Amino acid sequence: MISLPGLNLSSQPAQAQSVPAEAVTRTQDLAANTEYRFEVGFSRTLTVKLQSGTAELFGTELAPSTTYSFTGTNGAIFTWHGCKLDVGGDVESDYVAEETPMMSFANLHFALENLRDRSIASGSTEMGPRVLIVGPDNSGKTSLVKTLTAYAVKTDRQPMVVNLDPRQGMLSVPGSFSAAAFSSIVDMEEGWGSSSITGPSPVPVKMPLVYHYGLKDPEEGRTFKSLVTRMALAVTSRLEEDKPSKQAGFIIDSSGAISQGKNGVYDSIEHIVSEFSVNVLITLGSERLYSDLSRKFNARTTDPSESVSVLRLDKSGGCVARSEDYMRSLRHAQIKEYFFGRGDEPLAPSSQTADVADLHVFRIVEPDPSGSYTTVDEYGISVEKPLFEPVKVDERMQNQILAITTAGPKDSQDVIRDASVRGYIYVASVDEARRKVKLLSPLPGGTLDTALVVGSWPEPVEGLVG
Amino acid sequence: MSLPAAAAEVAADFRDALQDLRMNSRPEISNLTLIAKENTEYAEAISTELEKHIRSTRPEWKLPALYVLDSIVKNVGTPYTVYIGRNLYRTFMDGYLVMDQTTRKNMEGLLKTWKMPVPESMDPRPVFPTEVTQDIENALAKFRAAQQQVQRPQHALPPRPPSLNVAWKGTSTPPQNAPRYVAPNDPRARPAYPPTPQQGPSAHAPTPPPAYHQPQQQAPPMSSVDLADLKTEVTQLIGATQNIFAQNPTDAALRMKLSALLSLKQVLDTQTLPPQQLEAVRQQVRALAPPPAPTPTLAPSTPVYPPQHAMPPGYPPQFPPMSAPPNLAQLLPGFRPPMQPTPQPAPAPTPSALNLAELLKRVSSPAHTNAAPVPAPYQPPFQGLPPPISTPVPVVQAPPPAATPPVNLAALLAQFNKPGAAPSMPSTPTQSAPFPQLPPQATTTAPALGSAEWLLRALSSVPNGTPANGTPIASQPMARQPSAPVNLMEQIELTTVSMKKPRLHLVSRLYEAKPNICATCGRRFESTPEGKEKKARHMDWHFKVKDPDAAKRGVSRSWYIPEKEWIEYREVDETAPNQSNDPSSTTGATKLKKQTKDRYVSVPQDVTLQQVPCPICQEKFETQWNVEANDFVWMDALNVGGKVYHATCFEEYSKGAGIEMPGTPDSVLGKRKAELGTNGEGKKIRAY
Ligand SMILES: Nc1ncnc2c1ncn2[C@@H]1O[C@H](COP(=O)(O)OP(=O)(O)O)[C@@H](O)[C@H]1O
Ligand SMILES: [Mg+2]
Ligand SMILES: [Zn+2]
Ligand SMILES: [Zn+2]
Repeated sequence: MISLPGLNLSSQPAQAQSVPAEAVTRTQDLAANTEYRFEVGFSRTLTVKLQSGTAELFGTELAPSTTYSFTGTNGAIFTWHGCKLDVGGDVESDYVAEETPMMSFANLHFALENLRDRSIASGSTEMGPRVLIVGPDNSGKTSLVKTLTAYAVKTDRQPMVVNLDPRQGMLSVPGSFSAAAFSSIVDMEEGWGSSSITGPSPVPVKMPLVYHYGLKDPEEGRTFKSLVTRMALAVTSRLEEDKPSKQAGFIIDSSGAISQGKNGVYDSIEHIVSEFSVNVLITLGSERLYSDLSRKFNARTTDPSESVSVLRLDKSGGCVARSEDYMRSLRHAQIKEYFFGRGDEPLAPSSQTADVADLHVFRIVEPDPSGSYTTVDEYGISVEKPLFEPVKVDERMQNQILAITTAGPKDSQDVIRDASVRGYIYVASVDEARRKVKLLSPLPGGTLDTALVVGSWPEPVEGLVG
Repeated sequence: MSLPAAAAEVAADFRDALQDLRMNSRPEISNLTLIAKENTEYAEAISTELEKHIRSTRPEWKLPALYVLDSIVKNVGTPYTVYIGRNLYRTFMDGYLVMDQTTRKNMEGLLKTWKMPVPESMDPRPVFPTEVTQDIENALAKFRAAQQQVQRPQHALPPRPPSLNVAWKGTSTPPQNAPRYVAPNDPRARPAYPPTPQQGPSAHAPTPPPAYHQPQQQAPPMSSVDLADLKTEVTQLIGATQNIFAQNPTDAALRMKLSALLSLKQVLDTQTLPPQQLEAVRQQVRALAPPPAPTPTLAPSTPVYPPQHAMPPGYPPQFPPMSAPPNLAQLLPGFRPPMQPTPQPAPAPTPSALNLAELLKRVSSPAHTNAAPVPAPYQPPFQGLPPPISTPVPVVQAPPPAATPPVNLAALLAQFNKPGAAPSMPSTPTQSAPFPQLPPQATTTAPALGSAEWLLRALSSVPNGTPANGTPIASQPMARQPSAPVNLMEQIELTTVSMKKPRLHLVSRLYEAKPNICATCGRRFESTPEGKEKKARHMDWHFKVKDPDAAKRGVSRSWYIPEKEWIEYREVDETAPNQSNDPSSTTGATKLKKQTKDRYVSVPQDVTLQQVPCPICQEKFETQWNVEANDFVWMDALNVGGKVYHATCFEEYSKGAGIEMPGTPDSVLGKRKAELGTNGEGKKIRAY
C-alpha cells in the first residue's frame, strides 16, 4: 500500500515512543487547589492516572480510567477538589505547588462566559468575546489559551483558537499560523490534538486552516501583517455563518516577540487587535506591557462597542523557561508528529520521487544583515526585494519542509503570500546529478504542481527518515 | 501491577459502566462488551460483577444488563460462557421472578437464542450448553403451570431448588431492599405482577414483602438515587435562575434566591443531612422553582405554596406532613405542552400530589425512552390523568395534553423556566414580580415559609454534618469556603482586580453541573435525558473509532482543507444525533453538488459485500476513512439500486445509456441505519 522506494520508513514509527510496559507507580496526593508540576524530557516518559478525586491538565479533565503518558512535555496537573494520582515513569523534575493562578484563569473563563451568553441573548448578532493573549516567551500564554479553550469546550461552547506564534505550531508544524474551532476535547498528551487523518482517531480530530509564515520572528518578516489580515478575514467570514463559534468567540495565541515593543509601541499587537476586533486583551506576566497597553487602549475608548478591556494576569510560577535546545527538540517533535503521528497511533507517510524541474519552490526573501529589504537594481536605483524568489531544489534544501500552498506557480507574489496551505512535504534527499528529489509526503497521491514555499523556519530537521 | 489488583480494577471499571446502564442502549452495551472482550484474562471477575449487578439492580434495569450478558456470550464467547454458565440458572431465574410479563417475554426470547448457535458463527454448538438452558426451561415450565393454577400472584412461586428460594424475598438481594423511601412508581413497591385495575393503593398490601410492611416512624431515608436527583434539580434550578438573574441583575429577590440555592448546593455536596431535612430541602427546592412567566390567567396573588393537601386515601405517607408537595399545576402554570390541543380530559382528581421529582422520574424513566414496554407505574390515584408531561393546567384554558410525546426533559425544563418573551434582551423588565411571598426588603418580618430567605436561615442552622460519602478530600474546598457571598452572580467584571477574587463556587459549573463523566476521555455530560443520550452517542463513537483494524489499514495525515472549504466547514459533534447519516447536512448547501469522484458510500458491513467489485470495471473500491461521514467509505462510489458502482464508471455509463445520474448520494450507511431500526432487540448490537 505504501511505496517506500529507497527509504527506510518502517523503522520510524517503532522508535517513536516506548511506554514503559509495567512501570512502577506511586501515589501522589494532591490537596484541593494545588498542582503537580512536571518536566519530562524527550527521552523520558511520565505516566499519570487519576485514582480518585478530580484533576485537570491545562483545563482538560483527566478521565478516570485512562492512563496518560507524557514525553517532551512540561505541565501541571491541577485539582479543584483534591485528588490522588498514580504516577509512574520518570521525569526531569517534579514538585507540588500550592500557589497557582488557576482561580484567575477560571474567573477569566467565567467572565468570557458572560460575554458568550450575551452573544446568545443578542440572537447571535453580537459576536462572543475576541481574546488576544500577549506576554513574553514562556510566560504561559499557550497554557492559558489551552485552559480557556478546554473550559469553554467543557461548557459546550465551540471556541475558535488562532495561533500566530511561529515558534510552536498548533495542530500543525512550527512556522505555520493556524485557526481551528474546538468542539471536542483538547488532547491531553498531544498538546492540541491532531488535524484530520485518513482513519478513525480516538480523540476527535480538529480541522485547522493553515498558512505558512516560514520565519522565526513575526517582526522580521514582511508577510506577518498580511497573513494576520488574511487570517482575520477567514475567521470572521467563518464566524459570520458558524453560529456556535460566533457565540463562543475566539482566542488568539501570540508570539513573545510582539510583546517586546519598540519604544513602547506594539505595532503587531495593535495590528492584530484591529484586524480581529479584539475586545479582551490579556497580558501575562509583564507589568510594563500591561501598563503600556492599558494606557494605549483605555485612551481609545470613546465608543463602548470598540473598547478593549486590557487585563493583567499573573504568570504561573510553573512556567518553564524553555532553552533553545528544548525548543529545537520540540519543533522536531512537532514535525515528526505531522508525518508519523504519535507512538501509540502511528501514521503512515508516503515517499515519492520527483524531478527537480517539476517542483515550483518559492523561497521567502529575508532581510540583509542590516535588516533592510532593499537592493540596488541594474540601473543603480534602490528597489525593494520581492517577497519570494523562485528557486530550484538543491542539496542545501535537504531536510527542510516545504509548504504546499493552494496558489499556482504562476500566481502573483501576493497570491502566494496569502494562500492557505494543504500540507507539508519533507525533502528527504536531493540527487543533483540525476536531478531527482526524494520527498516525504503525509499521504500518497496529491499533486505538487502548486507553489511550494520554503523559509528559514523551521530549520532543517535531520534524521526524520532513513 | 499484580494480577488480582488489576482484576479488581477492571472489575470496578466494568461495574461502573454497568451502573450507568439503565436502558437498552446499544452503544453502552457495545462498550461493555468491548471491555469484556479486551479483558478476557479477567473474565471471571467481570462475570461475577455482571451477575452481581443483574441480581442487585432494580428490576427495570435488569433487562438491559441481561442484554449485556447476551452480547458478551455471543460476541466474545468463551471463557465468559463458562463463568456465566455456572450461575446462569440463578442469574436468570432470580431476575425472571421479579419481572413484569413483558420483560419475561423478552427474557424467554433471549433464552431461546441461547439454545441455538451464535447466528452466522462457524461454531455449531449452542451459546450455552444444553444442560444449563434445560434447567431453566424446566423451571419455567413449572412456573407457568403454577401460574395457571393460582390466581393470587403472591402464591405463584414455582418450586425452586433450595439455593434459589430465598432470592426473591430479598435476602439474597443487597441491602438496598431494606426499608427505604419507595417512590410511588418504583416497581418494587408493587407485587411481582402488574397490578390489576381494581387494585387500589390500599389493596397493594395483601402479602407484600415484609420489608414494605414495617411501620416507619421516621421519614424513610432518601436513597442516594433520590439524593442525586435532588442535586440535579438544584443544579438545574441554579442554572435557570442564573439565566434569569443575568437579565435582571438588580433584582434583590433573585439574588437572594440564587445565593440560597448555591449555599444549598454546597450543603448537599459536602454534608450528610438527616433524611427529614433532605425531604424538607426538597420541598423548598420545589417551592423555589423559577417563577413562571406571568400569564394573564394567573392571579397575581396565587401563593406558590398550596395549603396542605389531603393525601389520597391509602397513599403511602412519604412526606413529612409539615408541607405537602407543591402542586404541579402551580409549578408549571406557564407551561404549555408544545403539541396541538386535543379534547381535554376531565380534571384529574388530585393532580396536586404530582411533584417535580415524579415528573422528572417519569420523563427520564426507561419506559419512555425504551422500546420495551414496561407496565404502567403504580399510580392508581391518578388514573384519570394523562401522562405527566401533558398534565393539564387547570387555570389555563384548553391546555393541550398531547398523546404521549417523549418530550425531552431539557425542553420541558426550558419551557418551564422561560423568562417571558424569548430571546429577552437585557433591558426587558422580566419577572421580579411573580415572587409573591418575598416582599422586597422585608427584612423585619419573619421570612415566608419557603422563601429564599427562609431557606437561607434554615440552611445556616444546619449543623455541620459528616462529610458526604464521596472522597472526603473531594469535598474540602467547597466546605472550606465561607458561605456564599450574596453578590456572587454579579457579572464578573473584566478587570485585573476582579480576576483575583476567589470564586470557587463557580467551579461547580465545570464539574458538578455535569455529573456524568466519560471514563475514557473525561468529557462530562448532564444527568438529564438529553445528557444521557449525548453520552450514549459519545460512547457509540468511542466504540466506532476503537476499530482494532484501523492501525493496519495504514492511516495517514490528511491534507488540510483549503480556505473556502474551511470557512464553510462546520464542526461535527460526535454527540449530535444523525451526524453521519446525511453527508450533505454538515457541509452546507454549497457542497451539495459533489464532484463525481468525490462521491462515496460507507463500506458495507457484510464481509462478502465488501469483496464485490464495481460491476462495470470489475475493480475493487478504495477504502478510506471519511471524516465527514465519520466512517470508512468507498471513494468514487455510488449506490444505485442496491449495487455499488464507481461513481465515475457509472457516470460514463449513464451518459452513454442516456440515463440520469442519481442526485443524492444513496449512502449505504443510511440504509444500514434504517435496517437497524427494524432489527430485533437482541440483534441490534450485532450490527456493529
Ligand atoms: N503551571 C505550570 N506548571 C508546569 N509547567 C507549566 C505551567 N504552565 C506552563 N508550563 C510550561 O511552561 C512552558 C511555557 O509555557 P507556555 O504556556 O508555552 O508559554 P508561552 O506560550 O508564553 O511561551 C511550557 O512548557 C508549559 O508547558
Ligand atoms: Mg506559546
Ligand atoms: Zn469519551
Ligand atoms: Zn468501476
